[in-house]
Amino acid sequence: METTAYQPDEEDLVHNLKSGNQKAFREAVRLYTPGMLAVARFYLDHASAEETVQDCWVSVIDAIQTFEGRASLKTWLHRIVANRAKNHLRKNKREISTDFSEPLDPELAERFAPNGRWAKPPSLKSNESAEALMENGALSKCLDHHLSRLPETQRSALMLYEAHQHKSEDVCNILDVSASNLRVLLHRARQKIFLMVETFRETGEC
Amino acid sequence: MLMCRDLARIASDYIDDELGVGKKMSVKMHLLMCGRCRSFIGNLRASTELMSAHSGQQVNEEFVRRIDERISESLRTRDAGNIKPE
Repeated sequence: METTAYQPDEEDLVHNLKSGNQKAFREAVRLYTPGMLAVARFYLDHASAEETVQDCWVSVIDAIQTFEGRASLKTWLHRIVANRAKNHLRKNKREISTDFSEPLDPELAERFAPNGRWAKPPSLKSNESAEALMENGALSKCLDHHLSRLPETQRSALMLYEAHQHKSEDVCNILDVSASNLRVLLHRARQKIFLMVETFRETGEC
Repeated sequence: MLMCRDLARIASDYIDDELGVGKKMSVKMHLLMCGRCRSFIGNLRASTELMSAHSGQQVNEEFVRRIDERISESLRTRDAGNIKPE
């Protein structure tokens, strides 16, 4: 359970949402839709995920009256999306299948010799800061491209944990995965990003 | 003894400080001796920070506008329903 109550500016936003203020809804939609979509995409295909997020926003118009600030608005919205997406899955009798058994990315696994030492070690020697890396527009585009190619389950876990700064317990709750499975999802996704950055900095190509 | 491949399997747990004391010590000992794994951990950490610095999943502006429209419509319908006849 998230212990931090919502922030003062969030308090204003919630107040305005409860009053049915259209401007507040526009602000909230822009602020929270990317994360909500990441949650929905964990369970659903692109079209169904967008439909679910739209329906959620409409339901929030009334549901916001019940928001008491026990979790942040972001976590509250993400839970609503997750519940709706799970219902959608149940209706369509679909299940998500993910392999949680191997934490090592297959491409990285091939870079070790049978004795367990590096056969093809990381080629990057220096560690540029994230800010310096992000200043490279081409790398940022490449990151978007590779994120879009990650398996949905890995991408959603990564987006919620890294980009949307959720705590592990919240991500586990929202995505309905165990703590150990979340660790596998995160690690697999990070390795993909590591391999992408390595290739990009080595060859300049995405 | 912890090998490079073993370390690569648990590298994220090390970065996020999710390892038990014993395992964490083994990783630290390995890193003292192995420049290749130091480079791997350093760059995996940079990749992780890169994700945090990334603005997040881009959402199609058209999609956001569709949500605005549905909200406006629902708010109008709700408000119209709340107006009591005189």
